[in-house]
Amino acid sequence: MMSDAKPILQVRDLTVELRTAHAPRRVLDQVSLDVHANEVLGIIGESGSGKTVLSRALVNWVARPLEMTSGEILYRGEDLRKMPAQRMQSLRGRSIAYIGSDPTTALDPTLPIGHQIMEKLKSVEPGISNEAARKRVIHTLDAVRMPMAAKRFDDFPFQFSGGMMQRVMIVDALVTSPDLLVADNITQPLDVTVAAQILRLLKELQADYRTAILFVSSLLGMVHGIADNVLVLAGGKAVELQSVDGILTAPQHAYTRHLVREMPRIWEAAPEGRISAPAPQSDDREVILSVRDVSRVYATKDRSRLFGKQHVQAVRGVSFDVMKGDSLGIVGESGCGKSSLSRLLSRLEAPDTGEILFKGQNIATLKGRAMLKLRKGFQLLLQDPYNSIPSHMSIGRIIAEPLIIHGGLSKAEIRGKVAEVMSEVGLSSDLAGSLPVGLSAGQRQRVNIARAMVLEPELLILDETLSALDQVEQAKLLTLFERLQMRHGITYLYISHDLGMVRRVCNRVAVMYLGRIVELAGNETTFFDSGHPYTRALLSAVPAIEHRPYEASTYLLEGEPPNPINIPPGCSFRTRCPFAFDRCATVDPMLTARGKGDFAACHLAGGGMPASVAAAGTTFA
Amino acid sequence: MTGELASTASTAEVRAQRSLSATMFTNAWKTTEFRIGFFIFFGLIVLSIAGPSLLGVSPTKFSVAQKFMPPVGFGGDWSHILGTDQMGRDLFARSLIGLRNALIIGVTSVVGMFVVGSAIGMIAGYVGGWIELLLMRITDAQMAIPVIILAITILGLSRPTPVTIICVLILAGWPAYARTARSVMLSERRKEYVRAAKILGASNIRILLVHIAPNILPPIAFVAVLDVARMMIIEAILGFIGIGIQPPTPTFGTIIADGTKYLMNAWWITTVPGLLLTISLCGINLMGGALERARNKLLQGVS
Amino acid sequence: MIFALDFFLRRMAQGLVIIVLVAMLIFTLLRVVPGDPVRTMLGPMASAEVAEQTAQKMGLRDPIPVQFAKYVGQVVTGDFGRSFVRSAQGASTGGSRGGATFDASNRAPVMGLILTAVPYSLLLAGLALGISLLISLPIGIAAGLKSGKWPDRLALYLSSIFVSLPNIWLALVLIFLVSVKGGLLPAIGYQNWTYAILPAFVLAIELSPVFIRSASVAVSSNMLEPYVAAGQIRGLSRARMILVHVLRNAMIPLLNVLGIQAIGLLLGSLFVIEYAFNYPGVGLLMINAVFQRDFPVIQAIAILACTLLVLVNILVDFAATNIDRRLQY
Ligand code: SF4
Repeated sequence: MMSDAKPILQVRDLTVELRTAHAPRRVLDQVSLDVHANEVLGIIGESGSGKTVLSRALVNWVARPLEMTSGEILYRGEDLRKMPAQRMQSLRGRSIAYIGSDPTTALDPTLPIGHQIMEKLKSVEPGISNEAARKRVIHTLDAVRMPMAAKRFDDFPFQFSGGMMQRVMIVDALVTSPDLLVADNITQPLDVTVAAQILRLLKELQADYRTAILFVSSLLGMVHGIADNVLVLAGGKAVELQSVDGILTAPQHAYTRHLVREMPRIWEAAPEGRISAPAPQSDDREVILSVRDVSRVYATKDRSRLFGKQHVQAVRGVSFDVMKGDSLGIVGESGCGKSSLSRLLSRLEAPDTGEILFKGQNIATLKGRAMLKLRKGFQLLLQDPYNSIPSHMSIGRIIAEPLIIHGGLSKAEIRGKVAEVMSEVGLSSDLAGSLPVGLSAGQRQRVNIARAMVLEPELLILDETLSALDQVEQAKLLTLFERLQMRHGITYLYISHDLGMVRRVCNRVAVMYLGRIVELAGNETTFFDSGHPYTRALLSAVPAIEHRPYEASTYLLEGEPPNPINIPPGCSFRTRCPFAFDRCATVDPMLTARGKGDFAACHLAGGGMPASVAAAGTTFA
Repeated sequence: MTGELASTASTAEVRAQRSLSATMFTNAWKTTEFRIGFFIFFGLIVLSIAGPSLLGVSPTKFSVAQKFMPPVGFGGDWSHILGTDQMGRDLFARSLIGLRNALIIGVTSVVGMFVVGSAIGMIAGYVGGWIELLLMRITDAQMAIPVIILAITILGLSRPTPVTIICVLILAGWPAYARTARSVMLSERRKEYVRAAKILGASNIRILLVHIAPNILPPIAFVAVLDVARMMIIEAILGFIGIGIQPPTPTFGTIIADGTKYLMNAWWITTVPGLLLTISLCGINLMGGALERARNKLLQGVS
Repeated sequence: MIFALDFFLRRMAQGLVIIVLVAMLIFTLLRVVPGDPVRTMLGPMASAEVAEQTAQKMGLRDPIPVQFAKYVGQVVTGDFGRSFVRSAQGASTGGSRGGATFDASNRAPVMGLILTAVPYSLLLAGLALGISLLISLPIGIAAGLKSGKWPDRLALYLSSIFVSLPNIWLALVLIFLVSVKGGLLPAIGYQNWTYAILPAFVLAIELSPVFIRSASVAVSSNMLEPYVAAGQIRGLSRARMILVHVLRNAMIPLLNVLGIQAIGLLLGSLFVIEYAFNYPGVGLLMINAVFQRDFPVIQAIAILACTLLVLVNILVDFAATNIDRRLQY
């Protein structure tokens, strides 16, 4: 970087306080930073580190109860805090643009996106003609690779996917060619492949538009992919500023070292990173759950025809077996059908066709008493720790509820069991009488686990159970799960989007795409020698700082999954597959065995894809 | 325009509370309008129960000699504080009895429509399918006749007694509750705690009664307070038209209707019951309004 | 286009079901209440045989479903039957007239009675709606923009007082003060349009709290939507965000309230207020019909009122789907 040129943005000793009824709390504490023209400065911090407050402060957007108490924010030497409102407003649209983490709520839901971007353009550049404005917007939509830009100009926000909407917001920000773009956690709500696409796009645009970018994220892997320099924010203080490589190789501050060490790793196993050892692969283990050709279709309204209905094919012919003691991970991006599958497996819904055999009995058709009895054997743990337990019952009563439902126990027996299971999951017994008031997310999730465990299930389905928790809590609960597995021989089904976690705890992995399992294999095979291009694309997109066996440049294509209503014949991944060839358009590949216990649904599974790049880190046996 | 921090702080605050409805109630209690309303309302309840005997005058005893006595301060005396009507009956005592009757009819009918309506709405929303469709069409049909029109028709053609009046008001009022309960249920049945209960194996009835009802009914009940006031107005209208509780039992409506003939020479006959009714409605509405606002704010997630 | 067609076909079909249900309800109700309508028509002097004959002739002794089917057959041709008590000349027949002079052709057609009354009611309702929107929208919007500040308090107290005023009592007070004492406006009956002002005002006061409350809630909750803050960060002025975006979005809940709550309330109160002011609209016709047990008039008005509500609802919902396209999905 040309450090001698004058920076376009200088922040000096910025302090922001949260005014509460009690003492004010510092959210930002004397933060200083410089952004030079054409530079990408990364800001990294956990939730609560003040990074969102910082990025909003840079566009002078600090609303009560927050208050900027001291410091200055100089844009080309002019202090934003002292600027008249009028001037600030024109500066915002024209010179400093801001994109937030939730693109779906950033625009008026009732007006077409093109019109809203034009509205902004015209208010920032009053002289511009309607025609010129429209042209410019469509041109910029093209630049972010919005398919059919001219047509989508007239579409409404709700007609875009999250990823496409984030592109719209990028257009909105860049259409006036600002000097500085504040990108506040813009990839956070997106699926990994989409996030990776956006990141790649932003990098290219940065080169074209020569805009300085302040890239804020909580993932080091994300910042690593785009930034020149990185500012580390912890507890409202800037603790370290370094080049991006320096942060990884020679972190100075203790917090940064901790951050780098705790980075979830997939290929280079950190010594303490791995929690459960893969289950023994002996062949004669009992099959506890057998899913046979299960499908589920949802009917929705079709707006293009009178009284029309259309069919969303959420789960399409899924089959797999789970052995006792296994930990199977089911991964995939949003809309892949994994949550529909979890509803079927936990028998919240019945499949349209196919069988789900739990210990040999078909739960798809079982009813009444028999079903109730079988239910004790498999339980589901849900994602939201706040909504999944009732607020009006005491904790002991919540955990006792399943025993009351299933009946047959005396009051004393129930009390005994509840106490036992509470201590097992690590809830102190004197909590039994109190309401779940003020329990932390982690403790609430323990109540959830206790409630399921009190039935002594053999199979636990974890539907994104840990994704609402922070790293530390996650790790603690994973340890708990492992202990329960050792003691009771429980089988786990992890339904998750978190590849890092699946890598650590599952011995087998199923990858879903468009309602179907495209690959089902052991942990090692999945991550090091995957047989399906989609798995490889997923892995290439994971924000990581490691050397990875799959390069995004080879595997990550543009585009999003086709909608599950009209699925074209042939391989359903072919619209995004870099290796698609003629046969893929006509013949739908079946899940076929590649090796012992490894399956993939691709014509090239046997060979024909580039070999994995050998991982640089230590592989383990 | 609350910042990210502020909004997370407030949701955390909400979560830390005992329960949603308790929070709503305490939030409402903190407002001045709720307290004003509360004191007016309970003051009037006490008055309407104890009042007539405290005053020491009978609401039905008439004496021709004492007819058209104005209230104290307008030429009347303390034997009839707020004056007398065309038959010399004490207006204050009569109005208090009217208030008591209005309250009884208002509260009972609202409780009735709340119970009937929410039960039907909850079932419709939970069960879905053709049952829902049928129940909701019936609700729509019932709602397509304004309450007052239905009440006038039925009561005008049959013999109005307190019981029939209450029944008619329930009949006319339940659909609004069914609608609300159903729409709340539609979002509620997707919530994770309902899924959780299903997975545990709880039966549908158990889920409805033990898990969902305690969660969704209190906020609906808060808004029902406002309906008590509405029903009291309707009771007065029915009395005014002559199809409410029949004389000699005094009601707001009949006293006001009596007074219309003497508007020119004895304005107080309509004014006293009218004002008393308005004041009590104000009390109820301030209270109900505060509860409703507390609910809306909480549902919006603002603190 | 397809959406509009689909929408209207679907909603009209649903609406028809509702109207038929209501018609059935009212029809049955009128036939199970105590009292024989023939007595109302012929008066107490008529002999039992004459009464029985007339009843037979009019089909009043047929089973209720048969009667209903016949009635529906008539209604679809636009014929709501003839009044039991009003003669075509306008005076009430029945009760006072004795003997067997009862003559079907002499009785007024219900449709004619209603059509003469409708314009008066429309004038009153339109005026009331106009006045109440004029009062409540500025107050409600101001309250929504300044949530928690004095306009909000003002709106709160004002609407609390407005809902607490019993409409009949307010009507009497206004008649007494404005008309009798003040001599400012005419009140009882109808001679020209000024007779509609006072009753319209009473109705407007009753309607306003509904609009004030929903406008303030709609505006204040929209102000909290992320797109409002985001718009200002994108470089648009706050005034523009409010005028172009917030008000537009706030229209949707307002339309909803108009369709579900306000029109029903207005219609119901219209009846009472017309009675209180002796205003010759549909409401007065209806209440008098109730007192006179004039069943054909009662059922016609009930069915038409319900039809009106259903239609308004459909139109309002259609308008809402045009503002917010998400509602089409
Ligand atoms: S079958 Fe063809 S299109 Fe499908 S994943 Fe394999 S190579 Fe790609």
